Amino acid sequence: MVDKEETGYLRSLMDFNFPAEGIDISEVESEEEIVKRFKTGAMSYGSISEEAHEALAIAMNHLHGKSNSGEGGESDERIASAGTKNDRSSAIKQVASGRFGVTSKYLVSAREIQIKMAQGAKPGEGGHLPAKKVYPWIAKTRHSTPGVSLISPPPHHDIYSIEDLAQLIYDLKSANKNARISVKLVSEAGVGTVAAGVAKAGAGVILISGYDGGTGAAPVSSIHNAGLPWELGLAEAHQTLRLNGLRGRVIIETDGKLMSGRDVAIAALLGAEEFGFATAPLVTLGCVMMRVCNLDTCPMGIATQNPELRKRFIGKPEYVENFMLFIARELREYMARLGFRTLDEMVGHVELLKKKDDLTEAESRIDLSRILATSVADDNEIDTPFDFELEKTIDESILLKDKKILAAIKSGSKAEKTVEIINTDRAFGTLLGAEITRKNPEGLPDDTITVNCIGAGGQSFGAFIPKGLTLKITGDSNDYFGKGLSGGKLIVSAPANAAYEAEENIIIGNVALYGATSGEAYIAGMAGERFCVRNSGAIAVVEGVGEHGCEYMTGGRAVILGPTGKNFAAGMSGGIAYVLDEDNHLYRNLNKDLVLMEKVESKADCQELKEILTKHLEYTDSVKAKKVLDNYEEYLPKFKKIIPADYKQLLHLISQYEEQGMSREKAQIEAFYASTASNIG
Amino acid sequence: MGKATGFMEFKREDNPSFAPLERIKNFDEFHGELSEAKRRTQASRCMECGVPFCQAGTMIAGMASGCPLHNLVPETNDLVYKGNYEQAYVRLSKSHNFPEFTSRVCPALCEAACTCGLEGSPVSTKDNERFIIEYAYAHGLVKEPVPAVRTGKTVAVVGSGPSGLAAASQLNKRGHKVTVYERSDRPGGLLRYGIPNMKLDKRVIDRRIELMEEAGIEFKCNVNVGVDVTGDELIKQYDRVILTCGASNPRDIKVEGRDAKGVYFAVDFLKEVSKKLMDNDYDVEYLKSATDFSFGSLHGKKVIVIGGGDTGNDCTGTSIRLGASSVIQLEMMPKPPVERLASNPWPEWPKVLKTDYGQEEAIALWGSDPRMYQTTVTEFVKNKDGKLKGVKTVELKPEKDPATGRMNMKPVPGTEKELKADLVLIAAGFLGSQDYVSKSFGVDLDGRTNVATKAGLYETSKKGIFTAGDMHRGQSLVVWAIAEGRAVAKAVDESMMGYTNL
Repeated sequence: MVDKEETGYLRSLMDFNFPAEGIDISEVESEEEIVKRFKTGAMSYGSISEEAHEALAIAMNHLHGKSNSGEGGESDERIASAGTKNDRSSAIKQVASGRFGVTSKYLVSAREIQIKMAQGAKPGEGGHLPAKKVYPWIAKTRHSTPGVSLISPPPHHDIYSIEDLAQLIYDLKSANKNARISVKLVSEAGVGTVAAGVAKAGAGVILISGYDGGTGAAPVSSIHNAGLPWELGLAEAHQTLRLNGLRGRVIIETDGKLMSGRDVAIAALLGAEEFGFATAPLVTLGCVMMRVCNLDTCPMGIATQNPELRKRFIGKPEYVENFMLFIARELREYMARLGFRTLDEMVGHVELLKKKDDLTEAESRIDLSRILATSVADDNEIDTPFDFELEKTIDESILLKDKKILAAIKSGSKAEKTVEIINTDRAFGTLLGAEITRKNPEGLPDDTITVNCIGAGGQSFGAFIPKGLTLKITGDSNDYFGKGLSGGKLIVSAPANAAYEAEENIIIGNVALYGATSGEAYIAGMAGERFCVRNSGAIAVVEGVGEHGCEYMTGGRAVILGPTGKNFAAGMSGGIAYVLDEDNHLYRNLNKDLVLMEKVESKADCQELKEILTKHLEYTDSVKAKKVLDNYEEYLPKFKKIIPADYKQLLHLISQYEEQGMSREKAQIEAFYASTASNIG
Repeated sequence: MGKATGFMEFKREDNPSFAPLERIKNFDEFHGELSEAKRRTQASRCMECGVPFCQAGTMIAGMASGCPLHNLVPETNDLVYKGNYEQAYVRLSKSHNFPEFTSRVCPALCEAACTCGLEGSPVSTKDNERFIIEYAYAHGLVKEPVPAVRTGKTVAVVGSGPSGLAAASQLNKRGHKVTVYERSDRPGGLLRYGIPNMKLDKRVIDRRIELMEEAGIEFKCNVNVGVDVTGDELIKQYDRVILTCGASNPRDIKVEGRDAKGVYFAVDFLKEVSKKLMDNDYDVEYLKSATDFSFGSLHGKKVIVIGGGDTGNDCTGTSIRLGASSVIQLEMMPKPPVERLASNPWPEWPKVLKTDYGQEEAIALWGSDPRMYQTTVTEFVKNKDGKLKGVKTVELKPEKDPATGRMNMKPVPGTEKELKADLVLIAAGFLGSQDYVSKSFGVDLDGRTNVATKAGLYETSKKGIFTAGDMHRGQSLVVWAIAEGRAVAKAVDESMMGYTNL
């Protein structure tokens, strides 16, 4: 039925060039082997319910395929289940622009890490999770505020060029060297060129996502600007990679309304090795295509977080497993007729596809010759994977060989080490951090391992480092400092003999602490642009920031003891920033859409600020911190507290409910219902 | 659109039906109406599905799922919810000619396929539809469109059941001159004489026929085509002929004693009662005391209805109103489950137990369901005058035919019984059309005695002669008849004009 549909898919214009004789189906690799290449779509926990999300994960783990976490993080319990008999953890962990819940633990638990550059149904846009779906348990997994909409930024703030993407790939590989790094691209004209760049940047998998992948929640404006059919992007990427001798580096995956064994067979012949499904598995779990995924009213308990509706969920992992096996069964029949024993043999054999014979006049005018073009110059065999040369890093060659550090990772004993670094030492500390997380998923006690670095930190210094690891730099550091900080501590100060005033100079680069989820950072000096973007739990002190500071922040604290650039706190929906605004410039630079500017008055606030500053002074010997603390009463009126209005309201509601004697958890749920009640209906 | 959370907030509430012991005192429709506010609340339960199964009208496992007319159910529900009733009527009438009929007699395929019914109760779409059309009538919105220009083409429609009426309405709107032939004294076919007044008040049909006549459709009643006038005459006289004579050939129970006095076909019985009701200006008291029925008076009589379907139920309800002292309904098939079986999932038509109005009334009167399942008649027992005095029955059980794999009902030896009866009504379904019409036109029949066409088409083996409705597809629902009537109108229009915009 699916294959005979009269819908205008490009693949419905194609037919197979069956050879005169196929092979016996018993010679074809088994269904169980084939389903290992199948994946489910990146639907976040938040967009779909726990029940649906886990059903997909359990099914795909049974089949040794892969489910995808989506961009919403994963709960601790599920991460802990990875590798156990009842594995409910998603094999693919997605890293999207929102970086929700992207912690060291999250990354270490992945078998594949997917960087979502875009999605086919709404390229150029991030995810949208409407306020009424951000229930407290979702907010917890995402490190955000319940009842506040989560709009993922359109770009990754650490990617503005292909080099930046290469850096992120490197960072993630360092964060979990056992995982494949995948990059999700949208089928568009020119995707071949992008794919070639991505292959050179070190990705192991390139996903070409078609426009017809569904999201019942995409805004109309996005639907009108969706990508192209995967047939086009896949053919282009495959051909371009072959012509450039890069096909051997990467696996190509495709998705977008794959519904049948025929679809998969065509995708394989056009060059895909792995295949993603989303709509169909959801239908097997009960989805009736209501297209109310954005309203939290899914009557099947799938695209909703409403506890009442979730009770209606009728799906079982077996249904998804059966679906995948049936797809594989149909695919095997095609493989036998086409004469292939394995999918690997089949990939890229475009010559076995042709235009259908019985097309209508209008259909036959569509020129498929470029899609069906056969290009050679390289084969498909993955024989030249990218070499990250991780063994040459200081982490692997020095730190992870140090007996004291190894003992510390194992037993929690203290270790300290001093190394010299230069600015080509990228993602310093990340491999070490990953090793700590691998052995200690919750991290180690603070300051268990301290590494004193002297010199200039390279890009992504201290990315994703977990609790228990402290990195101190005497010198300065490059962009992406503390990216995805996951509990570790970062301290930067200028050398004692520096010929400049640290507080007046930029000492760390752009996009510091992007996507930090917890931990602390003390920077005795100024930071570049986009400081603390998407911070969701870290405490950071800095002595001045460039533009777009604290953008999209959802939690944690940022203390800024100096000037701020324009567009400060844009899209900020949680956490608090304390800014020492000596010249009263902040009001002009503040993006006032979501936040309030207040004085630091309450006892709790004054206390908190003082504690943070005291630590800053202790760790960095900051001249500025000393000046402020020595004259705290005089400086206090010059501080401004920046707090998101909704966040403040919610905190207020929670404390009210708590005063009524509710537990914190219950108070959060009540506060959530109270704050979203007006949105419903 | 719609109230996104309506289905969670509100429970389904049906149009109230009058208490069984009250309503059996008359032959009036037994459903009341909810208040306007409640109606809107009910409409707000519609979930505005992205993929509305209610309007799909596709065949699943051999049964239709969703509305064959493809009524835009979510849209009309939403318009009712928003209080925009006039627009709701406009929307409804785009896909449907006679909502007043289906909103009374349709088994509501839309509701069976309603997503809301997956968990909980479906949206009350049928009641909403009735509200829309009654509102439209009350506010003078209902019009049969009068064409601005006449095409000069003429069409004869033979049979004035729902499918013939739908075809006539559509073709007239297009500008063709339509003449409808009906062998009975009043138009409406089974709507008129097959369905009792309790379910569909005959004045509802009159109201529509009047509008159709005003719009230029001519009705020729008491003309039995094939007897009073031949097929050839019509062919000569009209550009096109549409045969919509229904499938009124009842299935007989050919067992010993069939000639007993007191065995009637359900259709004849129901027709006679309805006709007397109309002939006497809906005088219920007269009808209840009348003794000049062909079957005499039913007062104090024991009635057995053979057939557990809708017609059987209509016989039960009618017999009760005419004073029968007991009614038993015999059904061959096993009692259906109360809830869907796993093998019969949504959105398939639910094969579940339905207790209809006649059965409700029997339960209210005598305390038990009148239906006896897995039972069939083996003999009509008569006295020496040839008058019926009872029936012999046997129980049946399903057995799988090893050759075909089909389930057949086989008699169980030793379960024979004799039931007393003064009157037997045979409501065992219909076999197909009565063949004197098809013979008169010389059109081919298929194996099931339906008029044959190519699959999905409406032109018969004879050029210029079309068919639709039960005569074409076999015994079916009113909604299918209307859908076929609309489709045949399109085919006829295209065959005359070279294109169609119906």
